[in-house]
Amino acid sequence: MSTSLSNPLASDDTMPEELRELLNSPDGPAFEQALDVMVRQREQHLFRALGQLARDLHNAVRRLGGELSADGLPDMVADARQHLQEALEMSGNAAHRSIDFAERMLPQADDLANNGAEVMKWTEGNEAAAILARQAIGFATDCRDGLSDLMLAQSWQDLTGQRIKKVSNFIGTVESSMLELVRLTGALAGAEAPVSVERVTSQDDADRLLSEFGF
Amino acid sequence: MKILVVDDFSTMRRIVRNLLVELGFSSALIQEADDGESALTMLRAQSFDLVVTDWNMPNMTGIDLLRAIRAEATLKGMPVLMVTAENNRDQIIAAAQAGVNGYVVKPFTAVTLKEKLSKIFERIAASGASA
Repeated sequence: MSTSLSNPLASDDTMPEELRELLNSPDGPAFEQALDVMVRQREQHLFRALGQLARDLHNAVRRLGGELSADGLPDMVADARQHLQEALEMSGNAAHRSIDFAERMLPQADDLANNGAEVMKWTEGNEAAAILARQAIGFATDCRDGLSDLMLAQSWQDLTGQRIKKVSNFIGTVESSMLELVRLTGALAGAEAPVSVERVTSQDDADRLLSEFGF
Repeated sequence: MKILVVDDFSTMRRIVRNLLVELGFSSALIQEADDGESALTMLRAQSFDLVVTDWNMPNMTGIDLLRAIRAEATLKGMPVLMVTAENNRDQIIAAAQAGVNGYVVKPFTAVTLKEKLSKIFERIAASGASA
């Protein structure tokens, strides 16, 4: 049966000439083959566009890294994550040092308060000693409260640290997704994936993968 | 009283330990774990009276640890206090549904911790008396 008789699209003037000829063709296999070629061409354009997008995104990330590098900051995404990890460790160390200090001083504050209270018992008739003992007790109590607050304030290291971890994981996810996009578009465009995304661990690997797909 | 403090941040474990000591608990009886998985192993191997756990941790989160505790016959009655930065409504409801005994939002003070611990022990005493 002729395709042109049964399909009103075959006489549509707005349709490209190439497509109209195909629809009018009585050769079924040739029609399908030609249609496959056309679809494939369109797919190739799409995949190329996606690949270019991935490449542009990758370059943008690298450029951002380069700009940060000028300030002595990381020049690669992997480095950025490493720097976040280092910030996490440094803030952790600083918090531990503060807690060390509080733990060392708290018993001394307790001792001072206790000794001041003991001296107070023997200050009758000695106003100067009584004033000094009261000052010592007051100072020790204030120190105790302040040291407890100082220790509690270190809990911000945990709160900020959790956010740093989330940002670091997010950067890792963006990086993996970007490489996965490159791998997928490359594979769909006809190239075989030369390495799996899981094995891409360095900037060189990422660059190589992008290049192999022609992006 | 033997207490297990679970948090992936060593600073927070240390702070919670210090606060518990300040509240009169023995430092020698406080142990630490850095995620839910290692906490569960410790809970199965030793006897504890209270678990103070964070929510966000690698390997096994605090909410999963809580669910695992409630699902295990020998551990299901264990009092669990959640100390976490997670303060959205859904998460608090999830913790309540999983059977948490108390919920403290970070950052917190020794007074808040004391209040929540007191409530936990009051409820346990009340349920023990009515049983």
